[in-house]
Amino acid sequence: MNIDQILKLPSMPAACPSYPLGPYRFINREYMIITYETDHDLLRAAVPEPLVPNAEGHVLYEWIRMPDSSGFGDYTESGIVIPCTFEGEVVNYTAQMYLDDEPPISAGREIWGFPKKYAFPKLSVNSDTLTGTLNYAGELVAMGTMAYKHQASPGGLEAMNKAMTKTSCVLKVIPNFDGKPKICQLVAFNLIDISIKGSWISPARLQLIPHVNAPVADLPIKKVIGGKHYIGDLTLPHGRVLFDFVKDQKP
Amino acid sequence: MRKEDVLQLPSMPLQSPTYPRGPFRFFNRKYLIVNYRTDPKAIRDALPEPLEPDGDQVSVQWLDLPDGEGFGAYSAAAQVIPCTLKGEPCNFISQMYVNNTSPLAGGREIWGYPMKFGHASLITHGDTLTGSLEYASQITAQGTMTYKHQVHPEIAHRENLLLARKQVTLKIIPGIDGKPEIAQLIGITFENVTVEGAWIGNARLELTPSVNCTLADLPVHQVTGGIHLVTSMTLPYGHLLHDYLA
Repeated sequence: MNIDQILKLPSMPAACPSYPLGPYRFINREYMIITYETDHDLLRAAVPEPLVPNAEGHVLYEWIRMPDSSGFGDYTESGIVIPCTFEGEVVNYTAQMYLDDEPPISAGREIWGFPKKYAFPKLSVNSDTLTGTLNYAGELVAMGTMAYKHQASPGGLEAMNKAMTKTSCVLKVIPNFDGKPKICQLVAFNLIDISIKGSWISPARLQLIPHVNAPVADLPIKKVIGGKHYIGDLTLPHGRVLFDFVKDQKP
Repeated sequence: MRKEDVLQLPSMPLQSPTYPRGPFRFFNRKYLIVNYRTDPKAIRDALPEPLEPDGDQVSVQWLDLPDGEGFGAYSAAAQVIPCTLKGEPCNFISQMYVNNTSPLAGGREIWGYPMKFGHASLITHGDTLTGSLEYASQITAQGTMTYKHQVHPEIAHRENLLLARKQVTLKIIPGIDGKPEIAQLIGITFENVTVEGAWIGNARLELTPSVNCTLADLPVHQVTGGIHLVTSMTLPYGHLLHDYLA
């Protein structure tokens, strides 16, 4: 293997790369998102500066079913998203993610800095209930439920398409081989080629259970605001650096 | 979290880092190593320059890691290609499969261990030391060895055992724009190695072709023997051997 071949490798291992080069197209991606209100001080501690968490103290707990994802296959994800602002622009900061497939874990962490761990999330329709669960290291740590397609979301598909273009943001941390920080950046990206096929709202309930390695309950639930359920196709492209903690930060 | 504290994070996510800082001590770490002859051209193709092939033998290894600091309990399977770098004998780790995210993410992100998620197991079935690897629901490798038939003749000289030889990995991490941001050969030498037992014996190995778990791309021409080790050791940080972007 020569240097040209090495520099064209999309990922490790060289013998069978975990993930190909992007962008990545997702077909029939199905979301359940439950919005709740949490403690303001804990929210502040969970968000890295220079991001500023939303004043309402809202947190989005999500499940995403991804049956057909280019480069990644078929998998499910669950996690926590915190609406924030970066220099006044509204962004969604992804704080925790749990999924059951290694290529999107490695690609997610290594390209963008999605804070992904391996776990067993599930999103399914059980008779009249849209149900999300998350098992980590053998234990249930999250359970969310929504009424099934009770009401189309306000503004219809067009409003949801527009909402999906909101900037997303993650904290990418990759150490150097000697343990020192190598990459430490706030990274942003925007989904493209979005086509929402259905979108609904309903009441929701959410249970989060304290667990040290999947600390979804560290942002406690003060009040559940409601649930959103939608399905669509979209493309996840590469992104851009918003803030570099190594280069932009004066000592 | 304050900006200056972000730089102190050992890993993502901020709220529960996947792995802590090293070094990482492993207790009661067991190996099954099956050595075999393969196609020299396949070895050349699999080795990144400037590594040079060192013979026509490679190995598939199973590891049972019941107690790893920071990582917990897990199992691994790996393909290892002996090679040289500027004349120094090394072992290139070409593929690894583990069933635990902490070592998977830490392995890839710190040292560039080429880890994917697979279900490896190393157990004693009756009279047989058995390693198996399941990837995407299919068995892709199975190795067997006689159980403690003969004590390793070099047990008194641990520097002669495979563990003392420098490991080399190819660390590839893309940037946010998809271009390579890290492309390096990293060297790792285990420290404070205690060999609690070492045996050699007859072994057999079956590798099944699978597109995302390509151990069989180095085909088994002739199995030359098995090694069974029980050790404790420390995995330190690595050092830079070669930077492809420099």
